[in-house]
Amino acid sequence: MKRTTVTYGLAASALAIAAAWAALAAALIPLFAAETVIVIAFPVLVLFLALRWRAPGGEEDIPFIGY
Amino acid sequence: MIEYLVFAAAFGLLLLGLHRKVIARVQLRPGPPVWQEILHALKFSFKSTWVPKTASATLYVGVVLIGIGIWSAALFVVLAGESILILFAIYMLHKVVEHGFGLSSGSPYGKFGGVRSVISAASEIPLFVTIAAIYLFTGSLLLRDIVAYQGVHGPLLLIVPPVAIAMYLVILSKMPYGPFSIVESKELVSGYKTEHFGVWRAGISVIDGTKTFVLLYAFVAIFIGAVPFWAALIIMTLILVSLSFVCAVTPMLSPFDSVTIQGLVTGLMLVYVGYLWWVMP
Repeated sequence: MKRTTVTYGLAASALAIAAAWAALAAALIPLFAAETVIVIAFPVLVLFLALRWRAPGGEEDIPFIGY
Repeated sequence: MIEYLVFAAAFGLLLLGLHRKVIARVQLRPGPPVWQEILHALKFSFKSTWVPKTASATLYVGVVLIGIGIWSAALFVVLAGESILILFAIYMLHKVVEHGFGLSSGSPYGKFGGVRSVISAASEIPLFVTIAAIYLFTGSLLLRDIVAYQGVHGPLLLIVPPVAIAMYLVILSKMPYGPFSIVESKELVSGYKTEHFGVWRAGISVIDGTKTFVLLYAFVAIFIGAVPFWAALIIMTLILVSLSFVCAVTPMLSPFDSVTIQGLVTGLMLVYVGYLWWVMP
């Protein structure tokens, strides 16, 4: 995955979480709506954060598939 | 709310580190530091990462996202005091996720782990017959109602101890290095996790941490009731240490024996719940 794509994904998930938190704090959306947004955005945030942090290098390989 | 998720994942990983430490000490080994699982999660996050050629890329990555998502949802369900049926539905979804992990990579080790996940589901999930016993007493499956019931009548742990034991067995089934850990046993390398490395494995660490926290916190809420948060954390730690002792002194069972024992306990639970239903007014 390209680094730009990872950056966009990371930014989008972080913005979604921040927006849900702010909207809940301002009583614009109910709790379950904010939780739904976070349940969807949090996994994306975790993976994209790590994908942005990961070391470069490596290429597709074939794992052990039996003798 | 995201702070709850981060705390749950970190505390759950800390508990899993303590689990390894206790097992090691019981077996007269020094063991890793308690924070080893947190270090693992961080270490995997910055390793080189790609998708194997033999993998189904969508499923391979998708299951990691779904795994983190379902346990995040489970945490919110428990914190909000919602229905334990939702919690156990999520537990069943986790079985699907484990199966997806195993089948997505193309590795036979992963596939066997995934297949074993389905085998163990056949024996773990029926243990949820214990829900019926809880309902017989509390008249509700909402966690907040169950907690309120215990506020009046005392902990369900003392009222229906066999049910608590069955739930304890469900949590034991999910603990690594335990007698029922057939989905990631060493003859399968790491079972369904074998071909998920680097960032994907860091995601699995987050899943494992959150899952451990949610299951133990749910156990405290269902069988002990309302306690201050700090007390819940201490009780969770004590329960985990007891689980670690069981794991340390019990050999890993073969898949057949694992399913047989869990099936027998399920049978006993059915008899117990049937008895309760018969004698209760």
